[in-house]
Amino acid sequence: MTFDVLQVDLLTSRYNYYAVVLLLGIGLYMLIESPNLVKKVIGMNIFQTGIFLFFISLAFRSGANPPVVTKGGGPYVSPLPHVLILTAIVVGVSLTAVALALIVRIYSEYGTLDEDTLEELYYD
Amino acid sequence: MTDVASLRPLAAVLVSALAIPVILSLKSKPNVREGVTLTVAGAKLAIVASMVPDVLSGTVYVTRIADFGTGLSLVLRADALGILFGLLASLLWVVTSFYSIGYMRGLSEHAQTRYFASFAASVASAIGVAFGANLLTVFVFYELLTVSTYPLVTHDETDEARAAGRKYLTYTFGGGVAVLGGTLLVFFLTGTTAFTPGGIEALSTADPTLAKAAFALLAAGFGVKAALMPAHSWLPDAMVAPTPVSGLLHAVAVVKSGVFGIARVVLDVFGTDLMADLGVALPLAAVAAFTLLAASVIALRQDNLKRRLAYSTISQLSYIVLGLALLEGNALIGGLLHIPAHAFMKLTLFFCAGAIHVETHTDDISDMAGIGRRMPLTMAAFAVAAAGMAGIPLVAGFVSKWYLVIGALEGGQAVFAAALLVSGVLNIAYFWPVVYQAYFETPEAHDQKPLVSAVFGGREAVVADGGGGTDGSRASSGPRSDGAEASEADSPDLTHEDADRHVADGESDEHDDSVPRPEQVDHLGKRHEDAEYHGGPPEGGWERQGWQGQESTWFMLGPILTAATLSLALGIVPRLAVFLRIVETVVGGLPGVAL
Amino acid sequence: MIEHLPVLLVVLPIVGGALPLVASLYTDRAGWPIAVVAMLGHAAIAGLLAGQVWADGVVTYAVGGFALPYGIELVVDGLALAVVALISAISLGVLAYARHAGPHENTFYSQLLLLVTGLTGMTVTGDVFNLYVFLEITGLAAYGLVASGRAASAAVAALKYLIIGTVGASLYLLGVGYALAATGTLNMADMNAKLAAVGYDSTLVLTAFGLMVGGLTVKVALFPLHTWQPDAYANSPDSVSAFISALVSTVSAYALARLLFSVFTVDFLTAVPAARWALIAVASVSIVAGSALAVSQSSVQRMLAYSSVSQFGLVIAGFAVATPIAVVGATVHLVGHAVMKGGLFAASGIIERETGADTVGGYAGMGSRTPIAAGAFTVLALGMVGVPPAIGFVGKWYILVGAVEAEIWPVVAVLLLSTLLTLAYFARLGERLYFAEPTIREEAAVADGGEGSRGPRSSSDRRSGGGEGAVSAGMLAVVVIAAVLAVALTAAVPALEQLLNQTLPPLIQ
Repeated sequence: MTFDVLQVDLLTSRYNYYAVVLLLGIGLYMLIESPNLVKKVIGMNIFQTGIFLFFISLAFRSGANPPVVTKGGGPYVSPLPHVLILTAIVVGVSLTAVALALIVRIYSEYGTLDEDTLEELYYD
Repeated sequence: MTDVASLRPLAAVLVSALAIPVILSLKSKPNVREGVTLTVAGAKLAIVASMVPDVLSGTVYVTRIADFGTGLSLVLRADALGILFGLLASLLWVVTSFYSIGYMRGLSEHAQTRYFASFAASVASAIGVAFGANLLTVFVFYELLTVSTYPLVTHDETDEARAAGRKYLTYTFGGGVAVLGGTLLVFFLTGTTAFTPGGIEALSTADPTLAKAAFALLAAGFGVKAALMPAHSWLPDAMVAPTPVSGLLHAVAVVKSGVFGIARVVLDVFGTDLMADLGVALPLAAVAAFTLLAASVIALRQDNLKRRLAYSTISQLSYIVLGLALLEGNALIGGLLHIPAHAFMKLTLFFCAGAIHVETHTDDISDMAGIGRRMPLTMAAFAVAAAGMAGIPLVAGFVSKWYLVIGALEGGQAVFAAALLVSGVLNIAYFWPVVYQAYFETPEAHDQKPLVSAVFGGREAVVADGGGGTDGSRASSGPRSDGAEASEADSPDLTHEDADRHVADGESDEHDDSVPRPEQVDHLGKRHEDAEYHGGPPEGGWERQGWQGQESTWFMLGPILTAATLSLALGIVPRLAVFLRIVETVVGGLPGVAL
Repeated sequence: MIEHLPVLLVVLPIVGGALPLVASLYTDRAGWPIAVVAMLGHAAIAGLLAGQVWADGVVTYAVGGFALPYGIELVVDGLALAVVALISAISLGVLAYARHAGPHENTFYSQLLLLVTGLTGMTVTGDVFNLYVFLEITGLAAYGLVASGRAASAAVAALKYLIIGTVGASLYLLGVGYALAATGTLNMADMNAKLAAVGYDSTLVLTAFGLMVGGLTVKVALFPLHTWQPDAYANSPDSVSAFISALVSTVSAYALARLLFSVFTVDFLTAVPAARWALIAVASVSIVAGSALAVSQSSVQRMLAYSSVSQFGLVIAGFAVATPIAVVGATVHLVGHAVMKGGLFAASGIIERETGADTVGGYAGMGSRTPIAAGAFTVLALGMVGVPPAIGFVGKWYILVGAVEAEIWPVVAVLLLSTLLTLAYFARLGERLYFAEPTIREEAAVADGGEGSRGPRSSSDRRSGGGEGAVSAGMLAVVVIAAVLAVALTAAVPALEQLLNQTLPPLIQ
């Protein structure tokens, strides 16, 4: 009986971690499967977003306030992971920017964004 | 033995190493370049020789190059065993340098600068192996020896030379890896790799399985260069190198460094007592005895003179290993004395083969009937050295063989004494025909050599490539009628070479036909099938030369006669010719060995 | 100022990296002098730090004055110092090479200095998340540098590198998250104690270890996560491949070691044998697979890339054995490999410029046409094989001794085998260089356009500008110095050992 309750509890209270796993999976799948380069970059972004969600979930304390001075005192959600995520988001944005710049160049040189076609041209 | 710190061991190694850039820069001035080689060789000999009297009286010179802790210490130590090899290598380098000049110029060889520079590097490494005071130093110079001799093996730059070079590298680097593994194990078991006469103490109390594994690795690793079977096949293929290389390196420096390594392992790492306790000496002796006999038998069937000498080398090296493995005082003396003895004799033989090649472009024994007329001094030296190989008294080979046989008998292992005596008979069997036909036969009328030309299994046996047996002018049908067909000097040679090729099938069936067998190719890369190639006697037989040395240049004759004289000296007055005294110092300094 | 040295080490290159962009308002060739000045400053600071570390053992610095463990800490101990010195030296060497050879635009030098920032930051940081930030800075700069090749394939290679590298770095970040969840801190020294308190068999800790190490393994390019490396090295300009091959994987391997020893410690490896054996297995497979793949390559630069895969397997194996001697050996090999691999890429660049040869077959007979470069190449190759007394041998010997003492026999066997495996692909090149007939005719080699006897795929397209075929004395000097160092550094090993022995005992107990 206790075991069952535990299972249900597990399912309902940890939903953000499931979301994390889902996002990681979707992102990875897009990275590997889709032949379009832009979609790969999108997949990369989704993958990173999953990680961001993971960090934020770590920070949460039930019944706590946002870690901003004006939002009332008392227990704060841990601000450290939030700071880490801000940095990581910036990193992710730069990476996406570089990746897209490269894609623009690839498109102008090869005329295609399809991975399989590119492979043929590359090893020509 | 007192150790004295000195720079002389390091100087002996460096004097030729530092000459390498000098030689490389003298490409345009060949005479100056040769002068540099000769000067450096002389200097090296002087340095090593200056250490000999002190070693004999008990003073040992030591140079500590680097000490890293964790077993990494590079130390050079000129003790008696080291001086034995060092003196040999440096002395014979002087002789070989003169010979090289004559040989390379006689053939107008390419890449002579690279040749002389690599030679300098090789001898420097060989001296480093000789003077290494611990397994690691020996390993360092052992690898450097491989690297510096590689350009000499592939000197010709033909496909055959490159293939031989690749094989050489594979075998010797493999051997090096085994030596490294063994060194590691010894270091792990004892905390040191330094050579101690009588063996490293801690090894006798270490785990016997690991100690045996260490010995197996070290013996196998050094055994590759010492051409113990089955790791011997790089040596005949390396005969594609120029003859001075085959002589000095593959009869003296490289193979002797392998044997020397085994000597160090047996005497100074494990010690005779531990060897007997572990029971590893008997397998080593068995392998050596097998190699002795098998190589002699294979040598009987070689028609190419250099390949016959190569197999003879493989056989004679096992004399040394056998002597070491018998662990008995006289056997040790015999084995160690055979190092210089064989070196002098084999160098003479190789130099003769090279002189014959330069002067007459003849490489095959079957073409050498009556060549004593053309090159009397050369063949005389050949005869002396060959006699020594068989163990005839008055030549160096007899002294070492005497000690070996006595040692085998005293140790109660008569089967090895029997093997040595049988090998002596086989040596006569493959050297005597060469000498006899040189002086007492003519190209027009000479006996065929059934051991070389006959087919395994008799005349009616199916030859591997089929159809060869019906070739009308096979040598097995009586004396060749060369004189009658003298006007077409090429065709008798071609057909004769056909016969040889078929005959030689017996021992190299698996050979790929697209790469000619090394015995068909001289070191100029010319295949014997080429129409313009002509070895063997010119029309009308060999021209008679006198005994005053008109047969060849003195650059080549001098070293030949010197090496032959050294063999005689070592045979007649072995103690005066210092080597026996050195060997007795070595063996006398070993605790636990009764003389 | 003295007490701010560690942070200056990172600040100087980043400020220096901004300057060429500013200078491009006036001139387009200001990049090189600015980079040289910045790197000389970097080297000077490293020298001063060296003196301090030698005296005190460890130099720590709290960035911004924030107290530990809340602030970010920079820690320079013996191991870090060795790597910082390596970064300075190699950067100066590559700059000397790039003066004539490399891309000349300002942006190239900006990116180069940014890369140096990232590498230095990775080396001196004492904070796990800070390591991620600098890891990504390194990555971004590297992607940009790889893409600076003129050919279109450079962009594709850079994109591939970017995607795979980002996945790796993200995995590392995820691992940091787990570690944060387990311990609540990001400071390495603090995490050390807290991880031990949590217990090494906890799922959180194990996952953190797996993810962090896995992520870094992608950057080190061990088999089978190496696939970005051959394309990246082969398609980037010579200076870039020399730089990246020498430093990026090296510093990533250092970061892995730092994680292993300062955060998780040897106790973790002992408590979780599966972790140690997993590392050893991956490393051993890398050694063998890298060599096997290298043998089958016909392009010299790809062969060198696969060779890196193999050599880093050696280094990681040394770290995984985790005894003091083995770690010293792995560090020695790390430093030695950086010098040798950088030199090899530089030499192959020179040979390609002068003769147009970039395949194993094309190298035939080049020993006489480019004697200095070919000679340096041969010496460096022999060093990689492990012929003593080159430094490649010393590192191997130490790792072997450590492995034998720890009785990890598979590592011993694979390491001994690695000599023969490395010989297999380098011996072919050496033989071709000196003992074979040239296959590339003299006239065709001078042409820049790519037609001629060079085969269907013109390699010079992939190079950046500067393919006129001319080679400057500076470039030759760089490869000669690299070859000399490959042997001479052996003499410096005792000093390095002493430096490391001050650092290692507290790390490895």
